Amino acid sequence: MSILANKNTKVIVQGITGTQASFHVSRSINYGTNIVCGVTPGKGGSIHLGVPVFDTVKEAVKATGADTSVMFVPANSVKSAVAESVEAGIRLLVCISAGVPVHDMLEIHQILKGSRTTLIGPNTPGLLIPDEARLGIYPENIHHRGRIGLISRSSTLTYEAAIEINRSGMGQSTVVALGDDMIIGMDFVEGLKLFHKDDETDAIVMVGQIGGNFEEDSAAWYAAQKNKKPIVCYIAGNDITFRNHVGYAGDIITRGKVTLSGKKKVMSNSGMIVVDNLNQIHEVLSSLVK
Amino acid sequence: MDIHEYQAKQILKANGINVPAGKVAYTALEAKNVAREISPRGPWVLKAQIHSGARNNGHFVERKAGKGGGIRIAKTLKDVYDNAAQMLGSTLITSQNKPDGNLVSRIYVEAYTKVEHTFYLSMAIDRTYPAITILAANTETDDIAAIIANSQEKIIRVPLDLKGPTKAHSKRIAEFLHLHTKSFDSFHRFVHGLFKAFIKSEALMVEINPAGIRRNGDIFALDAKITIDNRAVYRHKDISSFRDEDDIPPRELKAARNGFSYHEYNNGNIGCIVNGSGLALAMVGMLKGAAACTLNIKGGVDRDKIAAGIKIIATNPKVEGIVINILGGFVRCDLIADGIIDTAAEVGMNMPLVVRFEGTNRDEACNILEQSNLPLIMAESMDDAIAKVLKAVEESE
Repeated sequence: MSILANKNTKVIVQGITGTQASFHVSRSINYGTNIVCGVTPGKGGSIHLGVPVFDTVKEAVKATGADTSVMFVPANSVKSAVAESVEAGIRLLVCISAGVPVHDMLEIHQILKGSRTTLIGPNTPGLLIPDEARLGIYPENIHHRGRIGLISRSSTLTYEAAIEINRSGMGQSTVVALGDDMIIGMDFVEGLKLFHKDDETDAIVMVGQIGGNFEEDSAAWYAAQKNKKPIVCYIAGNDITFRNHVGYAGDIITRGKVTLSGKKKVMSNSGMIVVDNLNQIHEVLSSLVK
Repeated sequence: MDIHEYQAKQILKANGINVPAGKVAYTALEAKNVAREISPRGPWVLKAQIHSGARNNGHFVERKAGKGGGIRIAKTLKDVYDNAAQMLGSTLITSQNKPDGNLVSRIYVEAYTKVEHTFYLSMAIDRTYPAITILAANTETDDIAAIIANSQEKIIRVPLDLKGPTKAHSKRIAEFLHLHTKSFDSFHRFVHGLFKAFIKSEALMVEINPAGIRRNGDIFALDAKITIDNRAVYRHKDISSFRDEDDIPPRELKAARNGFSYHEYNNGNIGCIVNGSGLALAMVGMLKGAAACTLNIKGGVDRDKIAAGIKIIATNPKVEGIVINILGGFVRCDLIADGIIDTAAEVGMNMPLVVRFEGTNRDEACNILEQSNLPLIMAESMDDAIAKVLKAVEESE
């Protein structure tokens, strides 16, 4: 089994008629993704990319029984689009849109609280189950099915990490990109939990980034686990580009200045295998099998 | 987007927070005139307006600015004039903007406000919850920088929901700060006003360092820093007029205007063009000090903008070789290839250029570049691209 979705998952696309959405959704359909319909307010009743378009998520869910949605809506409409999907009972939301205002994300978290909906993103290439389903904008040609779970906060480094997994002769069970915004939906802890439960995932590659404490939170969770799947962890960043911010509040929130070396140490102390460069991932993965 | 103290204080005042009387000045003469307007008698406080904190302990680069820091007390109008003349046009370096510092082009003149006690209080977003969180500390004996470094238990953290602080929240914080009970009501109004300002301006941070309590119990924001969410500025006309880009380096500014982000590094000679902030960081790591700058074109899909971006790198005098590493998802490699050709036609490309494409429309992109007859070096992977650009630059020297 993959995590979060598979080839049978019925998928809606919110904002399906946009230029970028059309380009990527038609590729997802060719990939085999079970895209059942689209939603664009005002365009209900039409057919786009060979699937019916509805005015609302509610109508789309009623007509198709879909429980998953990929969002390509403009940044300032993400909040209302999420609210609409949650109300329509969508189980999994993958939000590709970039540039969502931070205060909108605070409200979105309020909306998600107590609902059955999981949000991936925003500002993410999405979710990919190689050879089964492409919920987002992943380049198809670099991903291969295998038994390594891949979870990442970056977009492009996700692809680079997938190439590294391929180099070791392995492939990916599921690829989840969390998005590199300040506030995101699903975090590393939730993703790692799912990969630990998944019997088609033997090991995990995790790509983190400097800024915030998401990686440290996942280290705390991992350290407390009895049955650990191996995690190979790379953190993008250096202490030169991580610029000083105006004011002290940022340093207080993270309980002191976050440095790359400090972050790597926390990850490594939790039992993860931390690599300094991306191109070391394939070597570590190969050595795990031996 | 960071805004200046005097702008932040306008926002605070509009939300019911007490701030000392003050006015901004761009020349020494203006400073003297506004000082007289604010208050017939001194002392006054002169505050350099730059996008950085820790101004008081900062120092100026120029000799003419004298030994004082970025915040000075002036007792007479002549003092106001002299100190303003020293600070204006000088470069202030602080612990938060080192090593380059910021040019001071305006100063804020305020009436000196006598207070009995001071404390630190800010609101920022703790992304782990995620929640707007109040951070506060009593700064009677140590300043906030020292508390962060040595005694974080002296800082209280109170995450809030979107309804804002309740009286119970305010009471808890006031007790932690050892405020006198007679100040509790004005403290709650203060915290509530800050929250209102935070929400209304879509701030990422509002920081008052310090707030001062007057003898009668009134609370004043003696300093103010506000950072606004860049993505939301368009929704606030009044705030977008606060944008001051004087202190942003020209290449960085040009990149930002095209929707890209740009960083420079000391000592290196390789320019990197990538799509993704993580990828930029990873490239810099692998170049081990040879990176001169990185341009992240993010999800750029506009041919003209991409050409403008490549030009920023190609015209940086420190750059002796360029490596373009694009892993197309949203970004389409063929559009980047078009941008490379446009730039080469416009500015010429007389330095080694290594290109690595992977992902969306890679083959189309490689075809476009092959037919262009540009002297490019194609690479297969990130390692390969980095090895090839380092080698090409070394050989061309």
